[in-house]
Amino acid sequence: MSTDANNASLNRFGSIALIVGLVGLAIAGLGFFQGYNSGDVRPLMSWLMGIAFWLSIAVGMLFLTQIWYVFHARWPVIIRRQCEHSFAAFPVLFILFLPLLLVTFSGDQAGLLWKWLDSSNQLASHGTVGDDPLYQWKSPYLNHSFFIIRSVLVFAVFIGISYALRKLSFDTDKTGNINNTHIARRLSSAGLFLCAVFATVGAIDWFKSLEYHWFSTMYGVWFFAASMRAALSALIILCIVLATRGYLKGILKQAHRYDIGCLMLTFTIFWAYISFSQYFLIYNANIPEETFWYIIREKNFNGELNSWWWVSMGLIFGHFLTPFLILLWYKTKVVVWRSVAIAGWILCFHLLDLYWNIVPGKLADPDAHGAGYLVRQFSVNIFDIAAVIGVGGVCIWAFCNSTKKAEAIPVRDPNIENSLNYVE
Amino acid sequence: MAMITENSTNDPLRDALLAKVQPAELVEQPLVTNDRDFNWVTDKICRIVETPTPLWWWVCMAVALMTAAFTGLGLAWLVSTGVGVWGLANPINWGWAIVNFVFWIGIGHAGTLISAVLCLLKQGWRTSINRAAEAMTIFAVVCAGIFPLFHVGRVWFAWWLFPLPNANVIWPQFRSPLEWDVFAVSTYGTVSVLFWYMGMIPDLGVLRDRAVQRLQKGVYEGAGILAQAMDIFRKYFYGIFAMGWRNAGNHWRNYEMAYLILAGLSTPLVLSVHTIVSFDFAAAQLPGWHTTIFPPYFVAGAIFSGFGMVLTLMLPLRALYGLHDLITQRHIDNMCKICLGTGSIVGYAYIMEFFIAWYGANPYESYAFINRAFGQYWWAYLMMFSCNVFTPQLFWFSAVRKNAALVWVMSILINVGMWFERFVITVTSLANDFLPSSWGYYSPTIVDIFTFFGTFGLFSVLFLMFLRFLPLMPIAEVKFVMPAADPHGHHDDGKGGSH
Repeated sequence: MSTDANNASLNRFGSIALIVGLVGLAIAGLGFFQGYNSGDVRPLMSWLMGIAFWLSIAVGMLFLTQIWYVFHARWPVIIRRQCEHSFAAFPVLFILFLPLLLVTFSGDQAGLLWKWLDSSNQLASHGTVGDDPLYQWKSPYLNHSFFIIRSVLVFAVFIGISYALRKLSFDTDKTGNINNTHIARRLSSAGLFLCAVFATVGAIDWFKSLEYHWFSTMYGVWFFAASMRAALSALIILCIVLATRGYLKGILKQAHRYDIGCLMLTFTIFWAYISFSQYFLIYNANIPEETFWYIIREKNFNGELNSWWWVSMGLIFGHFLTPFLILLWYKTKVVVWRSVAIAGWILCFHLLDLYWNIVPGKLADPDAHGAGYLVRQFSVNIFDIAAVIGVGGVCIWAFCNSTKKAEAIPVRDPNIENSLNYVE
Repeated sequence: MAMITENSTNDPLRDALLAKVQPAELVEQPLVTNDRDFNWVTDKICRIVETPTPLWWWVCMAVALMTAAFTGLGLAWLVSTGVGVWGLANPINWGWAIVNFVFWIGIGHAGTLISAVLCLLKQGWRTSINRAAEAMTIFAVVCAGIFPLFHVGRVWFAWWLFPLPNANVIWPQFRSPLEWDVFAVSTYGTVSVLFWYMGMIPDLGVLRDRAVQRLQKGVYEGAGILAQAMDIFRKYFYGIFAMGWRNAGNHWRNYEMAYLILAGLSTPLVLSVHTIVSFDFAAAQLPGWHTTIFPPYFVAGAIFSGFGMVLTLMLPLRALYGLHDLITQRHIDNMCKICLGTGSIVGYAYIMEFFIAWYGANPYESYAFINRAFGQYWWAYLMMFSCNVFTPQLFWFSAVRKNAALVWVMSILINVGMWFERFVITVTSLANDFLPSSWGYYSPTIVDIFTFFGTFGLFSVLFLMFLRFLPLMPIAEVKFVMPAADPHGHHDDGKGGSH
């Protein structure tokens, strides 16, 4: 166990995070309740974004941990433990996801968030979901019971693999059993495939199916890329906080921060590569079934640029170009405040990326009589902020709570000395 | 922001935590086995080019030259007659030519990946295989280049592919991904050659110095005048290309810096080449081609086939030259695992394409995929899927990875599968396109077959020449990952090597 002083400060921090989180969730929950009663989908999207933001961080950390195991990586062993503590957020996220699933069981509002769940929902063009030949075609996949099964399965895979890896690593602290490392490596090899498949399923179901007419084979890879960026940014902030005020003081080295910074740069480029490829191939082929998804993120039906155009520009320049250029500098990766600043910047724009993927949608225009549509515009409301803070607070509490259950670093990991003595 | 203190000695929290550190023992195979010393490594690698040419080399060279002649014959036939001698006809205007181009370009991905990406990832195991893989990359790019070059018809006008100012203001079509290929592949080829050559400079210096030493000592009694003449040749040949390398500290410093910069430059090139190649297809609207996952899927497939070819080449070399202490089971394991990983990524893409073809609810897209799997080219799809997705799954088992003969057979199957992947993508989509009245069945002509078959000969000729005249492995870099180079002392604990 960590020392008492350390535990006490983490306990205190965890309790504060829990209180803040619960307050945030209460506010977001109020919006959720109001939205549910009034048929307003926006507060439910706030809730989904809050979960998506923190889930993507946890999923990215799960991928990172498994990649490190598969590559027999030695340098990140002390960082890996922080990911293992972060896995405690998965069950919390599942519980917080349940209200969204529960809504799908309510008769009249079942299709409030995922509109295809209610066949009587009016489409932006004309007719209802039930009359829509595209929905009818997709209904063997997009149906309520299969959706629920898949959602539960996705969380079951994330929780199952992450907790198995945690258990193996924590057990090594006590027993020094080398077999745990061997099993974790094998589990990670298989786990990477499972996580790739189920992260894709989650991304398709929860985000892409919000606009169920649209399709793209790249979407699962986008979610992976976005999650890796979010996880690395969260991880560098977490490690620096723990190194300045917590149990990683004198343990986390510049070399560790530098390597995480390099990975941040790598996945910044990878995210841009994936996002650009998806955009470019759809733009270039110019097939209306696909381009509409990008068009509503650029302009309204009348051709005027809408609020999403600014968000799109923000993503190009803020989420790619700025971090890309700044992360090229060596000092960004080793000077503490610069690392934290760029990581915070990336996390803010990651949230904007989630907005961009989740919120826009075609809405029926009552004045157009089927000859036009409205676009749900970009806005930030109190429920968005409350949901992100609320879900985050509870996740941070889960992290702090987990730190009581194992050593601050994997003291008996076979590669711990390589990690402790790591140099650039 | 508070400062991060590193290695403070008076922090009780840290000291208490570090006092508990007691790593469990993990024995990992070293990257150079049998407790070899530095001198053995130098001698082993240099003697491959210094000893008399073995008989098997001559036999292989003769076979390779004869095989390469088929390409010569095929191309001569094409140039003298016209592109019509290839089996291209409406609606399949892209057949084996583009299939073979993509196949060879894909193989050309492993070398630079091993040199650049694995260098940036500090993977020490790459050192025993990177030189040969880089050579393979360049020769594969040469083979790949033949197909689009001759597909233009009048090959003597191929330089028009470059945007050269001319009196008639005629420019290439900049909006075509095929034009982007010209830039991507030529850049990739240039940087790969630079990277390969620069990495060889210290080893060329070693070969030069060894020849000079032998000449100075006059150790040719009984060896005949030919041995001495060869050393004189080596003194000047390696001497010129070693560019004055003297092993000085500043030489090494500059070398390391240049290597890192080239690694940084090459990494995006590895990705960009096959991304552009994927755009050749994906930028179209044709069902089966237009799908957004193509760029990363093509890159993964290229790495997959590249590593397949590295295994195909390195396993026989390991046996022929007795390189078991340098290319260990650990190297083979790692390469097999990369094949497993990339093969599974390719499998993910196949499944995702199929799923989205259905999910997208576009009947033409759905038909394209059903037709691929169950239509007239079902056998090609079956070959592709089984070789690329099922075959590498056997690499999960260490017993399979330890069976060199089986790994070698599987590596060939991987390349067969990857060739069929390009065939499936190219031909099935074109054969049954938008106009059913013109649907057709594509068959290659004998000229197609000759030209492609011969490229294996050309590739082999170039590779055999490389084996005979250039250092197979980077001597200094191999030494760097040996247990004997471990700064913490070498106690034969199996912990030396990679980080």
